[in-house]
Amino acid sequence: MPLGLTVTDIIKTFEGNRVLDVLSHRFEAGETHVLMGSNGCGKSTFLRICALLDHADSGRLVFTSGESELPADLGLRRRITLVLPRVGLFNASVFYNIAYGLKIRGIAKSERIEKVEKVLEFIGLSHKRSQNALTLSSGEAQRAGIGRALVIEPDLLFLDEPTNSVDLKNVGIIEKIILTMKEARQPTIIMATHDRSQAGRLTDCRLQMNDGKIVGCD
Amino acid sequence: MDSILEGFEKALALIWALDREMLEILLMSIRVSGGALVIASILGISVGAVTALRRFPLRDTLVGVLHACMGLPSVLVGLLLYLILSRSGPLGFLALLYTPSAMTLAQVILAFPIIASLSHAAIISVDPIIRQTARTLGATSFQAARAVVHEARFGIMSAALAGFGRAISEVGAVLIVGGNIAGFTRVMTTTIALETDKGNFELALAIGIILLTVAICLNLCLYRIQRRTVVGRR
Amino acid sequence: MIRARLIMAVAACFIFACVTGAGAATDILCSSTTSTENSGLFGYILPVFEQKTGIKVKVVARGTGAAIEMGKRGDADVTFVHAKEQELKAVKEGWFVNRHDVMYNDFVIIGPEDDLLKIKGIKSAAAAFKKISAGSMNFVSRGDKSGTHVKELALWKTAGINPKGQSWYLEVGQGMEKTQRIANEKRAYTLTDRGTWLATKDKDRLQMVIVLEGDKVLFNQYGVMAVSPQRHKHVKYAESMQFINWLISKEGQAAIGSYRDKLGNQLFIPNAK
Repeated sequence: MPLGLTVTDIIKTFEGNRVLDVLSHRFEAGETHVLMGSNGCGKSTFLRICALLDHADSGRLVFTSGESELPADLGLRRRITLVLPRVGLFNASVFYNIAYGLKIRGIAKSERIEKVEKVLEFIGLSHKRSQNALTLSSGEAQRAGIGRALVIEPDLLFLDEPTNSVDLKNVGIIEKIILTMKEARQPTIIMATHDRSQAGRLTDCRLQMNDGKIVGCD
Repeated sequence: MDSILEGFEKALALIWALDREMLEILLMSIRVSGGALVIASILGISVGAVTALRRFPLRDTLVGVLHACMGLPSVLVGLLLYLILSRSGPLGFLALLYTPSAMTLAQVILAFPIIASLSHAAIISVDPIIRQTARTLGATSFQAARAVVHEARFGIMSAALAGFGRAISEVGAVLIVGGNIAGFTRVMTTTIALETDKGNFELALAIGIILLTVAICLNLCLYRIQRRTVVGRR
Repeated sequence: MIRARLIMAVAACFIFACVTGAGAATDILCSSTTSTENSGLFGYILPVFEQKTGIKVKVVARGTGAAIEMGKRGDADVTFVHAKEQELKAVKEGWFVNRHDVMYNDFVIIGPEDDLLKIKGIKSAAAAFKKISAGSMNFVSRGDKSGTHVKELALWKTAGINPKGQSWYLEVGQGMEKTQRIANEKRAYTLTDRGTWLATKDKDRLQMVIVLEGDKVLFNQYGVMAVSPQRHKHVKYAESMQFINWLISKEGQAAIGSYRDKLGNQLFIPNAK
């Protein structure tokens, strides 16, 4: 079931600068939310905090599944995931990378193979399963990063600049992947991008981040 | 010059004939240094990983000490170990002196700081994004640490090979604590030392050629591993 | 995963290999000198002893001083060296028991082929040493407290000379073969045992000759003694005594007397009483 997220009064300061300034917003479950803003405005910081990778200085995060509030434990952490802009693929085969999330969850080998193959097909990298992930092109690497995130079937997916420095052909492929998930309303997607037209292709409501706050759609 | 060539010829003949004494010595070397490699690797990689992944008081001091110990003079280790393992010494009751185990121990002491320091360096130089990525995929602290160590595996292998190289080319310490007993604690390096002293250049050269081959193969492996560490780095 | 299992299995084998292998319960450790070991005598007589008794004698060869020290520390069960004075002293001090003469060979003075100091023809070793101390040629000393070294120092004493620190006196701290080779390089004189000389003069292509031999003081007596079980309870006294008794028995003495080096020379003359 896709998760909803409510953030309240988030404050984050870096070297004296308030990057996130009493930020509050409600992200509805099942929707695809696109966050825009100039470089360095705090989008990445915000996503990292929401994905529980970093801590805010103050404020609250509440994750909801349906009506109920979820405690912030390992169970919750394993239902959300973030794909970083640099992706951070492991020095190993594409298959190994994608299977990683399943391995640490203790999924049996046969089931792992099945799920990984399915995702490889979904992202169009089946033919590269044995290739070292660090030799992929930037577009393929991004797709692999997304695949790594999808195989664990998250209920909340964060994407930070998923098509940054990706060639045109792959931009199209990745946007198609996102739209497919949007249509299925699973998972909830919260993504950051600085590409206005891309944002327009993916959503009607482009959330703007200004002065450390989220203002409404444009 | 003549004697050198003659020596070489006779040495190759010995190798070709699989001379029994020579094989015994070779096997003992493998056993002593192989054991040292295993033990020093288990200890060294563990310590290297812990110092690279966790913060604790005196951590930097420990890393510095390990680094400094890489330069331990082997004869000094031999001397100290001898005094400790001697019957008149504190650990004499173990009856380890003049056994292959004592030689393995000496080599472990010499190889361990190398493996620990180099593993530490390899793990610490892993891009922090790896740990973060593992966490975003739901890894626990321990699992994330394992992912980092896995990422550093080639560097760690290099560390182990470097440690092994140190162990197998060791002479001073193993001579002192092993006693170079015929048929019992003679390894390649101590035999070369002994036979050279005796003027038996054929056997010394034969063993020397084998030792050189081992060293070269080792370094070739190291080289190939280094290359794999760098592949695909963008 | 198979590879990981394989590696672990191999690793386990290695660990097992290095924790075992301390040797059988009846093995004894004999500390001796490098010259005795290098002569090949042990390689010849020890298998005979092992055949007869099943006892394996492991030899650690050091300089005489270190060999005796090993016995004192209890790191050996029996000591076989050639420094009678020191041996008797150690027995007197209670470190060893049951010392016996086993065999002898003799020392000779060797020097460069041209023998510029004209040592050849001199009968007395002490007189030869006196001539060498005049200083125009070098003398190489083992300087390592070995039996040879001890004998050499005794000769200097008899000649009334203190060679230490003199420019012609080179202390090298090495075994006998190496010392000979160094003397060869430096065209110097040195004191050596006949056994080592015979075994190595051609092999090492030494351009040297014997310049003095036969003086009774150059007699090199080998003795064997067991480490006192009073001082070190753990020593294998029974087996050590078996070894000593065999060495001085008719059989052991015959074995020693029948040993020939690669060139057919008899290196040791058995003389147990």
